[in-house]
Amino acid sequence: MYIGEPVLRREDEKFLRGKGQYVDDIRLTEPIAHAAYTRTPHAHAKIVNISTNKAASMPGVLAVLTGRDWLDAGFGEADGVWPVKDKDGKTANTVNRPFLAVEKVRYVGECVAMVIAEDRYQALDAAEAVEVSYDVLPANAVTSKALDEDAPILHEELGTNLVLETHHGNKFAVDEAFSKASHITEVEVPSNRVTACPIEPRSYLGHYDPINDQYTFWSSTQAPHIVRKYFTNSMRIPEHKLRVIAPDVGGGFGMKLYHYPEEPTVLWAAKVVGKPVRWTGTRSESLVSDTHARDHFTRGKIAFDTNGKILAMSFRTMAAYGAYEGQFQASIANAYHYCLLSCGYDIPAIYAEIKGVYTNSTPVDAYRGAGRPEAVYQVERLIENAAHELGIDPLELRERNLIQANQMPYKTAVDITYNVADLPVLMTKAKKLARYDELREEQENLRKKGIYMGIGTCVFFDMAGAGPTKMMNELGAKIGCYDVASCRVHPSGKVTIFAGSHSHGQAHETTWSQIAADRLGCDIEDIELVEGDTDRVPFGIGTWGSRSLSTAGMAVAVSADRIIEKANKLAAHMLECAVEDLIREEGGFTVKGTDRSITFADVADAAYHRGDRPEGLEIGLEETVFYDPKDCNYPSAVHICVVLVDPKTGNVTLRDYTAVDDVGTIINPMVLEGQVHGGLVQGIGQALMEECAYDSETGQYVSGTFMDYAMPRASDLPSFALDSYTTLDPDNPLGIKGAGESGTLGAPACVCNAIVDAIWGLGVQQVTQPMTPRKIWHAIQNANGN
Amino acid sequence: MSDNEVSMKVNGSTVSAKLDSRTLLVHFLREHLNLTGTHVGCDTSQCGACTVHVNGIPAKSCSIFAVQLENAEVTTIEGVANGNDLHPMQKAFRDNHGLQCGYCTPGMIMQAIDIARRYDKPTEHEIRHELEGNLCRCTGYHNIVKSVKAGVKAIHDT
Repeated sequence: MYIGEPVLRREDEKFLRGKGQYVDDIRLTEPIAHAAYTRTPHAHAKIVNISTNKAASMPGVLAVLTGRDWLDAGFGEADGVWPVKDKDGKTANTVNRPFLAVEKVRYVGECVAMVIAEDRYQALDAAEAVEVSYDVLPANAVTSKALDEDAPILHEELGTNLVLETHHGNKFAVDEAFSKASHITEVEVPSNRVTACPIEPRSYLGHYDPINDQYTFWSSTQAPHIVRKYFTNSMRIPEHKLRVIAPDVGGGFGMKLYHYPEEPTVLWAAKVVGKPVRWTGTRSESLVSDTHARDHFTRGKIAFDTNGKILAMSFRTMAAYGAYEGQFQASIANAYHYCLLSCGYDIPAIYAEIKGVYTNSTPVDAYRGAGRPEAVYQVERLIENAAHELGIDPLELRERNLIQANQMPYKTAVDITYNVADLPVLMTKAKKLARYDELREEQENLRKKGIYMGIGTCVFFDMAGAGPTKMMNELGAKIGCYDVASCRVHPSGKVTIFAGSHSHGQAHETTWSQIAADRLGCDIEDIELVEGDTDRVPFGIGTWGSRSLSTAGMAVAVSADRIIEKANKLAAHMLECAVEDLIREEGGFTVKGTDRSITFADVADAAYHRGDRPEGLEIGLEETVFYDPKDCNYPSAVHICVVLVDPKTGNVTLRDYTAVDDVGTIINPMVLEGQVHGGLVQGIGQALMEECAYDSETGQYVSGTFMDYAMPRASDLPSFALDSYTTLDPDNPLGIKGAGESGTLGAPACVCNAIVDAIWGLGVQQVTQPMTPRKIWHAIQNANGN
Repeated sequence: MSDNEVSMKVNGSTVSAKLDSRTLLVHFLREHLNLTGTHVGCDTSQCGACTVHVNGIPAKSCSIFAVQLENAEVTTIEGVANGNDLHPMQKAFRDNHGLQCGYCTPGMIMQAIDIARRYDKPTEHEIRHELEGNLCRCTGYHNIVKSVKAGVKAIHDT
């Protein structure tokens, strides 16, 4: 049995030896030209003129292309794949991000021109020589100001910066509950703007073969088939003419899912100059051009009865969309986000008003958690402040409001039903692992010595595994949300699995092989996995949203099951017995009660080369499955953490972090832990240090490099204490739930609540993310009336 | 933009080239020598994905010009294994799930090998401090720290 075992990763060898093949590593038999982009330094401006002559005449330059050239070529746009209707059923005020700006620029870093040259250095030199004259306009990058009367309008044709307003839950029930409440807590609970920062920047390589009219495109992407679909809109290339290859990808986190300006323009450039063209982003380009994330300005209110039971919650959110609507963004801010507003609590009434707004900033889209960390943060900060206001232990208050096991399946006040969980068990396990009772004692003792220790917690569900295609269509998705696997058994009995998912660190080569090996009854070494090539994999929706295990992983399992069903029939025929008399032993087939047996390889060979077969059994041994899940799935978790705050400097030390996750059946516990660790640190980064900062006056982007955008380092962090508890998902045969985003959902809430817990006694009730030393110090000073 | 001649040893072999003086060591390795295991992850010398050894000591190859290294000995991730046998530090990363996407991994391993050179038994705190110059976005560092601890032990035990 491989499922459940911490099988070491099969993909590691090449990475350890430096033999990974990321897009920038790809070498072709012909020299590759390089692309560089001229980007605007202005947050908002009319483009008066673009002069490319100087750049075009520089050494090594093969072409200089502009947005006008793109339009003249008759090409299209980066259409969204998940439009959401507004509260009145109307379509959103959608404006897609142009690939190269034509009349206006609307965020710092927007692409204005493209240079293709023989080498990287020449391209960079020439990109700086493109002369653009602008009429600079007033800009606004502050989300909460986007709908002010004097806010600069980004898209004049709309006359407003409102993209989309949606309402969720029951306002009437909420207002009624608040009128009867014994205690109301109100807090501003914004989520800061962050960005994914995978260590591998985005990179694209385009190739055009004019003899066969065939395009090949290597992309550092999480979803090669979706990229191929994007090209049908942008360059209008039909799918059978384009091969998209996602080789090794150095991290994605949801950011590497979109048709960025650099993507189709690189392929276009390859056709224009008649040579392969590559672009690899620098980190400063990445920080300004990769989609950003979160950036919600939210005010929240929570109402309690006299027993500390939550009666209702209400939220007003302005969600930044950035300068243009991102391709998934409506589903993030105006759909996914509200789905988790009940967190792990029994809340009778919830109401949320979400306004998506345009601001002069980089477009916002999905990033690990995608709308749900914001939800968990809002709810948990309200409960934390309420606990302190009411004088009730923060964990005790949460325990009073936990959804109990006997309430499952639980339909939330936002109409999402959590199917299986046992939150009280998770809470008990977390408290035990974190030694909670000792922590409260320690906190008191330290406080007497003037040391400010805080304990934070959070309890939440995730909504993973998007999702049943019909349900996703109803939520606005224009793409299917199933996934695909082909199980090809070769005549020798070895197996190749082709999967429509795409691992960029999630170990599919190991875990999908574990699933297939168990279902086929063969050795894991006899299996090879192929992902990331639209010519080899029939179709796929890609890896994002903690979805691959319950879609592609299930497709792998079902395709293997169909193989065995067919193999059984053939084996029974070869052994002249009934299928019911067969035993699977050591990967072979034995007739029960005898020593007559054949190997899996024997059956495989017979499948391709033996004419004598059961009536109606088709030749070959290959099954392709398009697996459409029955439901999303709902993993749950409880986190507890400990911080130490130095009031003299505002410095925060994160000392301990405990997380207990219910992700259903665990395929590989080692891989699961790695996913939780990674998500936790991204969440901790959001809580303590990460911010895509814009100047509030000019819209100038300030976090331009890793000197300014603070990334969590090993020295900032403790090791983590993890545990798990399993309730099986009822909707898929393996009982699995998604796990990849859990850490990012919980950590911002948990860490920030710990800080609030530490310094509440100093008179501080509110600090916003990122909770940097400077902000904490100021909050403490202000509370003391300094 | 003058053409400069430089000659150095990379992974034990002598290489000579005529280079634009601006050519960074990382670009020389990746583009001229096709040793693509050394990676670029930033442009301000923060991320450490470009870490190699120069004359036995870790250096960020994004911050050195190739032409500075006349007669130097450079070791990259490709030069660390002993033929088919992985270096004990590489084995430790595999055995402890110290990598996910693999992009930061070569730099981490080059730095980790140097930790083993300078420490007999580093504490967790010391390992984390020594990894300050290497960013990872996938693993949360937890298993990297475990890998380094195990790798240092394996190196000193042999």
